[in-house]
Amino acid sequence: MRNLMRLPGARLVLHAVVVIVIWLVMVQVNDRVDPLMNYYIALVAMYATAMFGMVILVGLSGQVSLGNGALMAIGGYLFALTTLNWQTVPILGVPMNGIWAMVFAAVGGVVFGLLIGVLGARLRGPYLAGLTLGIAVGIPAIANRFPDLLGGETGLQLTVPYPEGGYAALDAGFEDQFAEVAPSGEALLPSADASLAPEELLTADNFPSADATVAPEDLLTADTFPSADATVAPGDLLTADNFPSADASASAGDLLTPDSFPSGAASLSPDLGGTDISGVDPTGTSDIDLGFILERWQASLAVAVACIVAFVALNLVRGRQGRVWKAVRDDPVAAAVSGISPAGSKVSAFVVSSLFASLAGAVFAQILSYVGPGAFGLGLSLSLLVGVVLGGRSSLVGAVIGAVLLVWLPQFVLSLSEDRGWDEQVTNNAPNLIYGLLVVLVVLIAPGGLMGSMQTLVAKVTKR
Amino acid sequence: MMQFVDYLLGGIGSGAIIALMALALVLTWRATRVVNFAQVGQAMFTTFIALSIQTATGSWYVALIGAIIAGAILGVIIQYLVLGPVKRMDTSGAIIATFGVLIALQAAAGMIWGGDSQAYPQPFGNSAITLFGHEWPLSVYDLVVIGFAAVLVVGLTLIFTRTSLGLAMRATAFNPEVARLSGVRVSRTLTIGWGLAGIVGAVAGVLVAPTSTISPNSFDILLVFAFTAAVIGGLDSLVGAVSMGIFTGLLLSVVSGYSDSSNAPVAALVLLALNLLLKPEGIFGHNSARSV
Repeated sequence: MRNLMRLPGARLVLHAVVVIVIWLVMVQVNDRVDPLMNYYIALVAMYATAMFGMVILVGLSGQVSLGNGALMAIGGYLFALTTLNWQTVPILGVPMNGIWAMVFAAVGGVVFGLLIGVLGARLRGPYLAGLTLGIAVGIPAIANRFPDLLGGETGLQLTVPYPEGGYAALDAGFEDQFAEVAPSGEALLPSADASLAPEELLTADNFPSADATVAPEDLLTADTFPSADATVAPGDLLTADNFPSADASASAGDLLTPDSFPSGAASLSPDLGGTDISGVDPTGTSDIDLGFILERWQASLAVAVACIVAFVALNLVRGRQGRVWKAVRDDPVAAAVSGISPAGSKVSAFVVSSLFASLAGAVFAQILSYVGPGAFGLGLSLSLLVGVVLGGRSSLVGAVIGAVLLVWLPQFVLSLSEDRGWDEQVTNNAPNLIYGLLVVLVVLIAPGGLMGSMQTLVAKVTKR
Repeated sequence: MMQFVDYLLGGIGSGAIIALMALALVLTWRATRVVNFAQVGQAMFTTFIALSIQTATGSWYVALIGAIIAGAILGVIIQYLVLGPVKRMDTSGAIIATFGVLIALQAAAGMIWGGDSQAYPQPFGNSAITLFGHEWPLSVYDLVVIGFAAVLVVGLTLIFTRTSLGLAMRATAFNPEVARLSGVRVSRTLTIGWGLAGIVGAVAGVLVAPTSTISPNSFDILLVFAFTAAVIGGLDSLVGAVSMGIFTGLLLSVVSGYSDSSNAPVAALVLLALNLLLKPEGIFGHNSARSV
């Protein structure tokens, strides 16, 4: 086996096999779980995509950056702008689709990553952290400067580009049934009015699903069919207040009363750092028999992107470039003596991580069907940092664990809170309090995070 | 021209607050070579405490004193429990730990006081001063803010230059090993530095709260402004932090005046980026900000 690995290209094949196996497993999972679970899977995959970049930047290259949330914003906004405004791809003239929009998002991310990298790679720890903090606060704020183009504080609604086939047929059928049950609901269809502000969407009046249950089995019955499944951005770590609205879709089977559902999500606070605008995805979950479920498509897309990014990241991290990054992190002078350009290595880490971040941002835009400054604020950057630190700063597997933790913990706290009857104020903020304390504990006790500790443990056991 | 002067004057009050917060960042940097990104979190927390005291007692001054005491205690606790135990070599770890503290403080404040923006009482009136037939864009409150900032700066300067504690703090900042060998109780000095920073931050928080509102995240943007000012000032210079804090306040006021207040964060970002490109060690400092 060891000899086999020495063959040229063996590592590439191994990584490809690992990633493809994971992808195949996830495709099977996507087909079998309910829309809510698929929504969580999509979020985990999206976080993981961004955090692979954070592992490279923070872990391997040793540059603590808070700018990746802003880079995700660039990816998300470029995706939204290109899909909303361009019918065809410029120059090439081929019809615009989701993949092209993601290509534009990626290109934009790389350009901005290069800019920030050239500026930031020369800076030492706290200076870089402060500069990227400014970027994390400043770049989403730009959206407010151009309300016509970027939608301002309310952001942009977008229709998730669907694969050929599935959507058109479903759309017609969906609309028919929709009209029967809730004639006032046409405005909710994404095609009707893309610029609809989220708060309008969330009012109980035009929210036909307000009294429907989300439990998947109920979706099959005719009465409850048009339950628009509101997906809410748990992206903003800092405004935990608006957070719990996600729970409306979380507790499948619970009644979504008009009061409880839109409560937190619709609040658009004007301050910069902590707005959380919840993306509302009114397209709806649908019958499995009809063959197309938005969440399943979003999850498969997010998983596919995460797998491709994971393949690239694995090859970079476990190959020469990974050793270069680590060498510069541990001793820039020694690395320079060995013929490595420290500045080049740091900039390359920035570019790779911003490529991943912008792809994650494009996926995030499609999960939310929405882009807005609140969804990509400082909170998102901080949650990426939290995830990477908890999972393990230098471990790609740790990034996935961190991503799961970011999605799972709020839901776990919520279920605890339902059992114990906690105050809403406590429930909303408990996840962040736990994250903050865990981050401090991990830095003090186990700097390697979960994966680092496990590796140390395994090393100890095998030594004996 | 008159308009320009008005915009400049209008920025003095916010400049003084930015200066105070930058001062707090510089104090912790001097003490432990850590930029305390949780500083605004501490200030937010102590301002909420002050608001509770204000509601209970009705006295602005008692609330301010409460915030100062809470700020000192919080600073000492964080240094003692979090930053003290972080290994001095682990720069990334220290930065990440301060962000962890920031997240935890904001969540705790949200738990206790809720996430909504709350008004903080304005104690001295917010009306503009009319003098020589011109309505100046300065209120009595702005003058109070400037007065507090001046008192704190003078007080800190006296502590640093005239007391043995100040000497010990300067020695520790210069070289902790040598200071320890000379009989300075380094860890205690560091803790006092954090306590002082906590006090300055707490005062800044109570002063800034009436000019806007207070919520768990409302000071985030102040962190960006204060960091910008502190870095331009050289990060280890008290004079630098104060002068560049006021300069940043004036600049942002002019930018907001001529364009729109939502440009302020981007303006601060541009200022910070330009400074880091052209003169990364700051105007008053002798740190090396660049490593490559």
